[in-house]
Amino acid sequence: MTNTHSEEVAVRLTGIRKSFGPTKALDDAELVLRRGTVHALLGGNGSGKSTALKILAGVHEADAGVIQVGREQWPARTWSAAAGSGAGLRFVHQDLGLFDALSVAENFALDAGYPTTAVRSVRWKELERRVVSLLDRFEIAADPRQPVGSLRPAQRTMVAIARALQDDDSTRAVLVLDEPTATLPAHESEVLLGAIRRRAELGQTVLLVSHRMQEVLSVAQDFTVFRDGRTVATLSGENPTEDRLVALMTGRELERAPQEPAATTAAPPAAGSVSLQVENLVSGPLRGVTLAVRQGEIVGVTGLVGSGRSSLLKTVFGAHRPESGTITLSGRSQSGAEDVKARMAQGVAYVAEDRVAESSLMELTVRENISVSRLRRFWRPRGMNAAEERRSAADLVRRHRVKTTGVDGVFSSLSGGNQQKAVLARWLCRDPSLLLLDEPTQGVDVMSRRDIYDTIRQSVSAGCAVLVASSDFAELCALCDRVLVLQDGVVTAELSGTRLTPDHLTAATQSSVLTTGDQP
Amino acid sequence: MSQQVAEEAPVTSPLDVRTVRVRSLVESNALLALLVLVAVFFSVLPASRDVFLSVDNLSVLLSTQATVALIALALILPLVSGYFDFSVGANAAVSTVLSAGLMSRLDLPLSVACVVCVAVGALIGLVNGALVTRFRMNAFVTTLGMATFLGGLIQWYTGGQTILKGISPDLIQFGATSLAGIPLVAYIVVVVAAVLWYLLAQTPYGRALYAIGVNPRAARLVGIRSERYVAVSFVMAGTIASAAGILQLARTGSATADSGTSLLFPALAAAFLGSTAVRPGFFNVVGTVIGVLFVSVAVSGLTLAGAEAWVSPVFNGAALLTAVGFSTCLGRHRGQAT
Repeated sequence: MTNTHSEEVAVRLTGIRKSFGPTKALDDAELVLRRGTVHALLGGNGSGKSTALKILAGVHEADAGVIQVGREQWPARTWSAAAGSGAGLRFVHQDLGLFDALSVAENFALDAGYPTTAVRSVRWKELERRVVSLLDRFEIAADPRQPVGSLRPAQRTMVAIARALQDDDSTRAVLVLDEPTATLPAHESEVLLGAIRRRAELGQTVLLVSHRMQEVLSVAQDFTVFRDGRTVATLSGENPTEDRLVALMTGRELERAPQEPAATTAAPPAAGSVSLQVENLVSGPLRGVTLAVRQGEIVGVTGLVGSGRSSLLKTVFGAHRPESGTITLSGRSQSGAEDVKARMAQGVAYVAEDRVAESSLMELTVRENISVSRLRRFWRPRGMNAAEERRSAADLVRRHRVKTTGVDGVFSSLSGGNQQKAVLARWLCRDPSLLLLDEPTQGVDVMSRRDIYDTIRQSVSAGCAVLVASSDFAELCALCDRVLVLQDGVVTAELSGTRLTPDHLTAATQSSVLTTGDQP
Repeated sequence: MSQQVAEEAPVTSPLDVRTVRVRSLVESNALLALLVLVAVFFSVLPASRDVFLSVDNLSVLLSTQATVALIALALILPLVSGYFDFSVGANAAVSTVLSAGLMSRLDLPLSVACVVCVAVGALIGLVNGALVTRFRMNAFVTTLGMATFLGGLIQWYTGGQTILKGISPDLIQFGATSLAGIPLVAYIVVVVAAVLWYLLAQTPYGRALYAIGVNPRAARLVGIRSERYVAVSFVMAGTIASAAGILQLARTGSATADSGTSLLFPALAAAFLGSTAVRPGFFNVVGTVIGVLFVSVAVSGLTLAGAEAWVSPVFNGAALLTAVGFSTCLGRHRGQAT
């Protein structure tokens, strides 16, 4: 037990309840932050932790409960964004809300106001001085005049943090970070976590929400775990193991299945016929990629942001037209002019990286979201066969363990993990011969993640070939037979068997970055 | 790997589900209920009750609203996929003037005039569709520009004069005929509405249009050829608008040098009113028809009750604002979980 931190309460939520229509998002949730600690809020998708954050931020109004910040208390119904900000809560959301085209200094000023002269014109010199001192205090190596878009990802997050705390970086302020590393590559996360750790050592109180267990364990002292809208555990000053936290989140002891190497690791490459053959593919950031994926095989693709992972998948799917090179699907060579529909007809399926922007039909029903990939199947001259469509959707929802209030519920009412499972169901019902997955479990909780892995493995044992693009090395090692590393648009390494470990992957993706001096 | 499903706390209680069902039932039928209410009101109001329920009045009501109904139906096709088409009113006006001109100036038979007009309407739709999809021009501005352009052409073609003579008597006869007390033009609206209902609600094409309207990128990534689908919706809108223009000529017997805006705005109001009913939040055929009836019954009743000219537009505008406000509030209640 470490009791070096004060027992003074910085934030306390008690008895928080919140329902959305028929869905209870929070049911008697509790959360206590001790001043001067980094506190991790954990929970699966749909556990209510995003709702709790949104209530704290004043986006949603709680149905019941009490919110205490410092020594002051509010009934949760009267809580507001203004009250939170007045009490010293500072939020940095996953979407940082920065203006990429504007300078660092202006990003600070748009939040706190520009220093002005008597006639309301901006005093640029003073603004710059103020920002330089802020950047100094937060250890950000950036020029105030530099556009934010030109900063490294971790620096951008730090700018957002510094901006949130610019008017009050005393220890009174409580910094709330929502998934700060979700979209960062591994080494950028490290940089950012180091910076958060240094802030914490200076006495900063931090509430951290993240799906990445190892990161959370490396910075947080206290942990609160939500499940089904309730607080199931509060760990203070202990050093829990990852397994313990996962068990609390899931409510069951997970056999560590996702971490085990796939059983087919040693399978001979000649196991199935070639489903996808790509040769010298040039398209967008891709500069001559060659690879093959066989039936019954899961091949991973990784690489840093901008390495061309996503472009590779989109080009194979027909959403991008290649500049040169050949694509062969189950022996049929492609002209390159096929669009998505033509590739789908040849058995290709694709789950996009950005679920909200590229997969979801938010306002439509779960049923419509699933059947949209094969509308013709339900069409009869008399009209759409609604009964069959509903039956089929209900069956898929059950088989893929999508947690929903019914197939006619609105898609947006599902949690992120369940939306992703529904999107997967949309494609797997077509019995694809080649499944392309781009970051299939990004922002997905541990339980849904396991369901998704199960689903992928099942389709592979049915003879499907899978190509997974991911930046999550643990995921690639757990799921794939072999992993290709892309760097600057070409395949620079292939790892399989005993060499397929997160450490080897880190080394393979970072190699050129490390030797050329860590430039973005 | 074990097949057991995690024991999950129930997320819904039956009572809550019932509340939601009742709320959505109220929401879907609110406009219909209002229509009935307004109709009953004018049937008992002393100032209007004698005439309002007469066969003559209802017949006039249906035939005058036929063109507005067709234009509203034309509008919802691109609207479902997320695009405005402001040119349908002007497109109908072109069709009215052109069909009259072809018959009176070139002595062409009615059938030829109709075919030419419908072809021109479809072509205007195709140009709109190509500009919006192929050249990715903003639909709002593009179709507004098209409407202005067509309005100018009408001025040029008619020289500002109304075309009165030489219009096929068969056409005018058709516009004045009733079957079983209901004007023939209303039957045409029913047929077009039935076809569009089938198309939007009962075919993969219609379902795809709704998907495009909700998220065009996601629609493209499930193999929907959205450019083609959207372009086709503009062509169909143009075709229906030109048919509305010919019906307008049949009903009035003359073609004025009007640019069609007087048809467009009530139609827009009806389409938006309709999107708050039946399938709230989405443009739909049945809702649109109810929207047209609601607006026309109310306006007819107000006119009979002796209201002044400014009352109808004020009523239309207020109804639209109320309906949209109402459905936005209910939509907010539905909320979103994490």
